[in-house]
Amino acid sequence: MMFRRQLHHELVKLFARKRTYIGFGAFVVLQVLILALLQLPKARQAFDKLLSSNGYLPEDYYAGLTLAMLIIEFTIFLMGALYLALVGGDVVAKEIEDGTMRMVLSRPVSRLRLLQVKWLACALYTGVLMIFLGITSLATGLIYQGRLGQLFVYVPHEGLFGVFPTADGLARYAIAVVLLAVVLQIITALSFMFSCFKMKPAAATILTLTVMFTDFVLRNVPFFQSFQKYFITYHTSSWVRIYQDIIPWWTIGESLVYLAALGVTFWVVGAMAFCLRDFKS
Amino acid sequence: MISIRGVTKRFGRHLAVEDLTLTVPRGVIFGLLGHNGAGKSTTIGMLLAQVMPDAGELRINGCDVFADRATALARVGAIFETPAFYEYLSGWRNLRIFCEYTAPAKEERMREVVKLVGLEERIGDSVGTYSHGMRQRLALAQALLPDPELLILDEPSEGLDPEGIHETRNLILRLNREWGLTILFSSHLLSEVQQLCTELAVMREGRLLFAGDWRSLGAERHWLRIRVDRQGEAERALLASGLVDEFEYDGRARLAPHADVPAIAAWLTTHGYRVEAVHPVERTLEDFYLEIIHSTVGAHCVRPRQALNRDGAHAVRPYTGSEGGE
Repeated sequence: MMFRRQLHHELVKLFARKRTYIGFGAFVVLQVLILALLQLPKARQAFDKLLSSNGYLPEDYYAGLTLAMLIIEFTIFLMGALYLALVGGDVVAKEIEDGTMRMVLSRPVSRLRLLQVKWLACALYTGVLMIFLGITSLATGLIYQGRLGQLFVYVPHEGLFGVFPTADGLARYAIAVVLLAVVLQIITALSFMFSCFKMKPAAATILTLTVMFTDFVLRNVPFFQSFQKYFITYHTSSWVRIYQDIIPWWTIGESLVYLAALGVTFWVVGAMAFCLRDFKS
Repeated sequence: MISIRGVTKRFGRHLAVEDLTLTVPRGVIFGLLGHNGAGKSTTIGMLLAQVMPDAGELRINGCDVFADRATALARVGAIFETPAFYEYLSGWRNLRIFCEYTAPAKEERMREVVKLVGLEERIGDSVGTYSHGMRQRLALAQALLPDPELLILDEPSEGLDPEGIHETRNLILRLNREWGLTILFSSHLLSEVQQLCTELAVMREGRLLFAGDWRSLGAERHWLRIRVDRQGEAERALLASGLVDEFEYDGRARLAPHADVPAIAAWLTTHGYRVEAVHPVERTLEDFYLEIIHSTVGAHCVRPRQALNRDGAHAVRPYTGSEGGE
């Protein structure tokens, strides 16, 4: 009961802030921008060529579902990590910087409980943001084309090329969005951990982005191919593996377990730092 | 109410509090005085379990604040120098959030507290629109919500205008007298502490220099202000005569036990000095504080500044930490 009440207040704090909605607003703007860029003649020609050279009719696939997939793919690549790192980095460090954490800790609430509530609020925010992204991407594509059409997925760095009929495509899209909401929790968790240390919110965000960027770059260096499975971004990409002909549930499960273990590690390290630190003006 | 035993805290190489032992009895308004960096805020931070001591023990109502934080702080309210709130939320929502980290707040109790601090009109507005004084009042409201027995106030008058300081002072007195709250009060404003506190502790560079009833210290000594035409010569002569034990700045004199005002006035007139003023002076907290803080020896001995001293003896009661009850 008490936990629910605390979580409620934490969510009120999170969703009452204007900056929380910047993420939502920015995603919508980016979606429209990506849609506009996809209309450029050269982009459209490349799309058509890719499909027709593989024996598919571009008109069947250039519709709501495919556009939604393209939009979500680019949006996550460009801004996903940034906004999740911003929120995760803010949630503890900003309260410490503002002084509200000291006010809260003058009450006999346990530091661990406080972190649990904040962590859960962050996780919910990440989930809501990703589901929002999935729905608005689909809505954008659907409104623009007026039909769902069949789904075409092309993710070069994953070696993925797939076409799906509407019903199957929609189902896979829905699962992919849910999976995205789960795997990207690791970015929020990493940022949350950094924000538990003695640092500014911006530093926590920058550190998180640095880790993710370095991870992504190293993963794509040929020399590290054999270490693929140790990189975070390899596992966060598991959401697109839903679009493989035969869904590799075992591999996806492995990725989820790996990310969960990493998340728990981040939580423990962050909690230790938070519980052992001094709070002083 | 508060018991601090042998507490030491370092921040890196900086010794913030050194072997602090202090007792705050129940029902008093207890002042914590000292310069910036004296260790007051660190001590308050440790009492609220926000700062971990390197050594020692802190208890509130007999409960160790680190081993049993929930019980120790259950009926403790605290205000900091610059109270921070969620600016984008209303005062009412802020109170709910702060209070309900530990227990659900009854609406009736919230209204009572809001009325007490005089925020009924604006409690529904977002805190971002509040003045500093209103924030302090809101901070006081959140501190009072858990029905505390102990209020810890870290510089509560900081940044307030004279009217705000006056209101805060009256409220603190009321909370102590009518509600029976024990109040630990840290402030730079000596006049505030003088008007509010019955007992106090003075800290410097992390060390405790004095603790107890400052008025009782030196109450047996009588102080006069003596103004004559040849001031310097008269002071030396009075010291030599044995009527005065010590001169401080600005003609302030500590009388010898057998001397009084008429005797001093008569002596000055008899010896040809033109008397401009001879009158008793009350020793202020500022006098006391400066005397303590400028001591060079430490907690056990205080040397008055610029004092002409006949016998050099000027000792402050050494503080052992065993005085007063819990």
